[in-house]
Amino acid sequence: MKALAAEGPNATELGRDARSERWMLFGLSLPALLLVGLVVVLPIAWLFLLSFQTEGGAFTLANYQRLIDQPSYRRILAMTFEISLTVTAMCIVLGYALAYLLAQLPRRVAGVLMLGVLMPFWTSILVRTYAWLVLLQRDGLINVIGEHLGFWQKPLALVYNMEGTVVGLVHIMLPFMVLPLYNSMRAIDRDYVRGAANLGAGPIQVFWHVYLPLSRPGLFAGGTITFILCLGSYVTPAVLGGGKIVMAANGIAGDVELYFSWGPASAFGVVLLVITLTILFTASRFARLDRIFGGGA
Amino acid sequence: MRRRELLGGSIAALAMPAIITGARRAEAADENQLTIVSWGGSYQDAQSKAEFEPAAKALGITVKQQTYSGLAELRLRVKSGAGGWDVVSSGSGTAARAGKEGLLEKLDYSVIDAKSLISGTAQPYYIGNDVFSTVVGWSTKTFGKNGPQNWVDFWDVRKFPGSRAYRNNAMLEPALMADGVPMHEVYKVLSTEAGLKRAIDKMKQLKPHIAVWWSSGAQSAQLMKDGAVDMIAAWNGRLDAANKDGAACAYTYEQGLLDTDCFVIPKGTKKRDLAMRFIAEISKPKYQADLTKYITYGPTNEKAYDLTSIISPAYAAQLPSSPANTAKQLLIDDAWYMKYYQKAQAAYQDMITG
Amino acid sequence: MTPSPTDARPQQKGLPIRVRQVSKTYGRAVALDQVDLDVQSGEFLTLLGPSGSGKTTLLMVLAGFVRPNQGSLHFGERDVLRLAPHKRGVGMVFQSYALFPHLTVAENIAFPLKLRRVPRPEAMRRVEAVLDLVQLPDFGGRGVDALSGGQRQRVALARAIVFEPGILLMDEPLSALDKQLRERMQIELRALHDRLGITTVCVTHDQREALTMSNRIAVIDRGSIIQLGTPKEIYDRPSTRFVADFIGESTFLPVTGSGGTFRLGAQALKLEGYTPPPGANLLMLRPERLALLPEGAPGPDPRYNVITGRVTDIVYQGESVLVQIRLDDGGTVAARVSSARAALGAVPVPGASARLAFAPEDMNLLCGEAG
Ligand SMILES: Nc1ncnc2c1ncn2[C@@H]1O[C@H](COP(=O)(O)OP(=O)(O)OP(=O)(O)O)[C@@H](O)[C@H]1O
Ligand SMILES: [Mg+2]
Repeated sequence: MKALAAEGPNATELGRDARSERWMLFGLSLPALLLVGLVVVLPIAWLFLLSFQTEGGAFTLANYQRLIDQPSYRRILAMTFEISLTVTAMCIVLGYALAYLLAQLPRRVAGVLMLGVLMPFWTSILVRTYAWLVLLQRDGLINVIGEHLGFWQKPLALVYNMEGTVVGLVHIMLPFMVLPLYNSMRAIDRDYVRGAANLGAGPIQVFWHVYLPLSRPGLFAGGTITFILCLGSYVTPAVLGGGKIVMAANGIAGDVELYFSWGPASAFGVVLLVITLTILFTASRFARLDRIFGGGA
Repeated sequence: MRRRELLGGSIAALAMPAIITGARRAEAADENQLTIVSWGGSYQDAQSKAEFEPAAKALGITVKQQTYSGLAELRLRVKSGAGGWDVVSSGSGTAARAGKEGLLEKLDYSVIDAKSLISGTAQPYYIGNDVFSTVVGWSTKTFGKNGPQNWVDFWDVRKFPGSRAYRNNAMLEPALMADGVPMHEVYKVLSTEAGLKRAIDKMKQLKPHIAVWWSSGAQSAQLMKDGAVDMIAAWNGRLDAANKDGAACAYTYEQGLLDTDCFVIPKGTKKRDLAMRFIAEISKPKYQADLTKYITYGPTNEKAYDLTSIISPAYAAQLPSSPANTAKQLLIDDAWYMKYYQKAQAAYQDMITG
Repeated sequence: MTPSPTDARPQQKGLPIRVRQVSKTYGRAVALDQVDLDVQSGEFLTLLGPSGSGKTTLLMVLAGFVRPNQGSLHFGERDVLRLAPHKRGVGMVFQSYALFPHLTVAENIAFPLKLRRVPRPEAMRRVEAVLDLVQLPDFGGRGVDALSGGQRQRVALARAIVFEPGILLMDEPLSALDKQLRERMQIELRALHDRLGITTVCVTHDQREALTMSNRIAVIDRGSIIQLGTPKEIYDRPSTRFVADFIGESTFLPVTGSGGTFRLGAQALKLEGYTPPPGANLLMLRPERLALLPEGAPGPDPRYNVITGRVTDIVYQGESVLVQIRLDDGGTVAARVSSARAALGAVPVPGASARLAFAPEDMNLLCGEAG
């Protein structure tokens, strides 16, 4: 190989061109790389550093020790993942049905309905969360109607608990699920569905063997976004969880307030980050995305 | 609180530096302007009308008002050397901690006249300005006039069935009083390992009946307004505000936790002397008396009660710091908070999430 | 039911297709207009027509993806008109191939077998056999993205025939391929069809493809079948000017006459052995069926018609030379001279006079508008 490259006519010059082109490309992408480094890598590195420091800046493992000693951290983490998984699962079920419906409709109609799905994006999370409070609380609309119609006698505990928090979060997260799902469903050529039917697959088999696998990129993207955003929820659990639902961000905010240094909160953040990355890494292995995005390697 | 809610997520801490750069720019203001920072909402409105604006007028200066979210923000500002804040309104416990952390300027009591203040409210780093109380409150829709009359009642779920709201930051004094500890021994007991455990255990008893652990004064008022709970441990001023807003609740000062709001001067201010004179001004009886017109928090300056044209004796009886009411209540011990709060809060968090 | 498709003899007889009175409209647009069509068992029939003529629509009616407004449809004795697509048991090669990107080549081909609960070893054997048949052995493990256009086409074909359907439908299966590959595949497809004997309906708008592959061709225009016949019938005896125009090159000259005698200008046409349709008013001539008589050569067979004119243009086209001639009686015709003959001096120079001869069976009289 090497011998060949060096011998042919203009081989040296062409090789040099190729190298300078690579350098140029690197040079052009340098600002972007720096920006990413600055915006993403640096803060995480800083977080990491802080988590090993005492108030005075000396090295310590106390921040991590505290996470082990104090059971509330484990419970907060468990609760955070439990809620995030529940919300993601519910968003998958609801979002898939919704996106499927939209994908079957003519594009114009679907576009209008999609606006409805996206509408909540234009109101703040706080407003939407309080709206749920108005609906779900003890004297809220749902309880009033339910009692009035005699479905139940005593007000149901719909809010200030896990259920209320999940409802509020599902509402907020649904668009993040529907959008990528809808896009990946729209990208499914009608011929695939027809092809499967032609080969003998009934509607359920078409869905299971063809439609679902082909919409998996959207499912995975939507699921990942939803899950990650859920992990960082602050407002919704604070308002709808009634203080009983403490998610990671609420715990971190509490630590920032309570301790003299950033260390405890940073350590908690680092642990959350590591667990999240591990989950995502594992999930992406299972998702077999390489198959879907092609590139037969 | 609101402010902090915008920062959600594990990167909340990382977003903070943005505040620093913002503050540097704000500093260029002129010499006769003070930046006053408080909690916002109906409380800061009252402070502004009764104290900040009139005092600024009297001193011939202008004030710029800001809001903040708590100790973490103050700490960041001082430690980063950002400066820009001259006078800050704070809870006394927080102020005590901040003073211990070295975040605050010492107050100069040759400038500030603190002779007629309730004893214990004028401290080296902070000076009390109004008195509020954490009280037993109840919905009159549920209980009429005969709601729970003390913490023992509050804990008695047989006699007073219904849902309760309680604070989500460690507040253990009521638990001990409910468990029969006399008022004057609460902090003594709470300062022991066993006492802390006793309080937490008592909290665990009530926990199944606590529907909401509130995190802000505004939220506590909203809960009563919405009829979300039947009983609440909340700040008296917030309950009055809720009633003005259409809520139907009553409260008693019996076994209330008497607490003061104070003013502090953060380190790094370039206008220490002016800030000192400003605090001296708003500590005068007239301003403190005026404050009661806007919010049911009592003055720390006992001479304010002499201004009967502003505070009628009948109204005085409703204020937490009136002598009759003071006697029924437990004065918050800042020293205990400084020493044990972190530990108590950790245990409290374990209790809530457990 | 029968041995695997590798068996050389066409053991499995395909099902005949009967289409009656099938119409399909999209709003005001008529995609199919009362179509009648019979496809014989084991026949290779091509639907040929311009874009938008309704070919795909007809194929989709057969496959069950388009519900017609009216009509009847039978595969063999079975009424399939209202049968869901997955119950029709027809194989189909889509224009886009529709190979599932999340499955390998082998998984794609095994898909219909899996749905039919064919046991795994049997399915694997059949997948291998059919891959051999389409000359892609050892491709089973590849992803479909790692295939060339021709390979994809063959995989799609393999998938469509692996479950031994009685009917195979293909929608422009070769349109995505380059010319050379397309021509090779045409011959391969035909050979394969001869071996399997599946009733095949293929859509194309490439006339050469239609002529090469088909037993019969149905020419479609604006939702109707204009002419149905063998390639030779369609080429030699197009029934309308549209068909003549669409297939092959042709020149049209107005003729007058009636009652068995027709005149081209002043000249009476010799019609021996050819019966033109009544009311014909156009003479259609194929360039390659016109003989350019060398100057001074003896006259041709007396059966032939001879027309004279002057050469206006000569176009070199590789394998042949196209000579444009303005006739003395008006009108222009083109005559094709093979390059071999042109090299022997059979082509006159522009401006020279020329004589053209054609046999009665090589002409075609049609009804239609001149122009
Ligand atoms: N889903 C549809 N909605 C409306 N009109 C349609 C639809 N499908 C086909 N048509 C119309 O029906 C007519 C026949 O279409 P068809 O697809 O059968 O043509 P085709 O012969 O296959 O053309 P091509 O060679 O371009 O593929 C066209 O005029 C087309 O515009
Ligand atoms: Mg078509």
